[in-house]
Amino acid sequence: MLSGLGFEEIYNLKGGIKAWQGLEAAGPKELNLDIVRGDETPDEIVALAYDMEDSLQTYYKEMHHRTKDQEVRELFYKLASIEDKHKRTILELIATIEAPGGSTKISQADTGTMVLEGGFDMAEFMEQNEPTLKTVPNVIELAMMLETQALDLYLRFAAKSTNAETKDVLFKIAQEEKGHLAGLGRLMEEKI
Amino acid sequence: MGAKKIMLLKRLFRRVRSMDSKKAMAFMNKLTEGTFTLLDVRQPREYEKAHIPGAQLIPLSELADSLNELDPTKPIIAY
Repeated sequence: MLSGLGFEEIYNLKGGIKAWQGLEAAGPKELNLDIVRGDETPDEIVALAYDMEDSLQTYYKEMHHRTKDQEVRELFYKLASIEDKHKRTILELIATIEAPGGSTKISQADTGTMVLEGGFDMAEFMEQNEPTLKTVPNVIELAMMLETQALDLYLRFAAKSTNAETKDVLFKIAQEEKGHLAGLGRLMEEKI
Repeated sequence: MGAKKIMLLKRLFRRVRSMDSKKAMAFMNKLTEGTFTLLDVRQPREYEKAHIPGAQLIPLSELADSLNELDPTKPIIAY
């Protein structure tokens, strides 16, 4: 249909989603979209992304303290440390978008609750998932699920955004998320 | 038949290329986010159950009325 209407480069995914071997996100297209208005400036979006990375790090740290199994505890510690790198990357992103004299204040996003990457409420998420996080593969799977939902959410934020610069920033953040996922994939191979 | 008409017919009946999962993943990894469109033409319930991260949902039945939501200059991978 599209090929005759001016769309030049179209590919069909052979076998559709059933044949897809990559990561999958879940949820309706409106899921957690209420976190953004759509008219955010780039620095507001960066502050929100930083907050979500920070909340995820808090979650991993909390799980590190609450977990008894030594190997799983170490993994939560490692995941929390990785979030330091992600937060640094976001700070670097601010430097690339900020106008001279600008001073973006981090942690200004007002989401009302602690929102993890992917848009999950931290308290609810902890309550629902803690019982299943007893092994290293379970924990890495959870981390990959969170990053996958985050990638999806940032791209849906980009679709909602009415600001071209904000869209660009969201694409950059989504690109970073892809890198995080690749890193977790390597960690999974290493640990299993 | 004029050359213009033949060109138009060729465009309308051009075959859409297919990519398997592995090739599609390599293709998307090669490109940066924002430079291509992943288009999910299934129904919302199917999308909700599982979709490729970042896919734009436009059910096939709504596609004709939603063409303005797609950028014709970017590659589109549809499923």
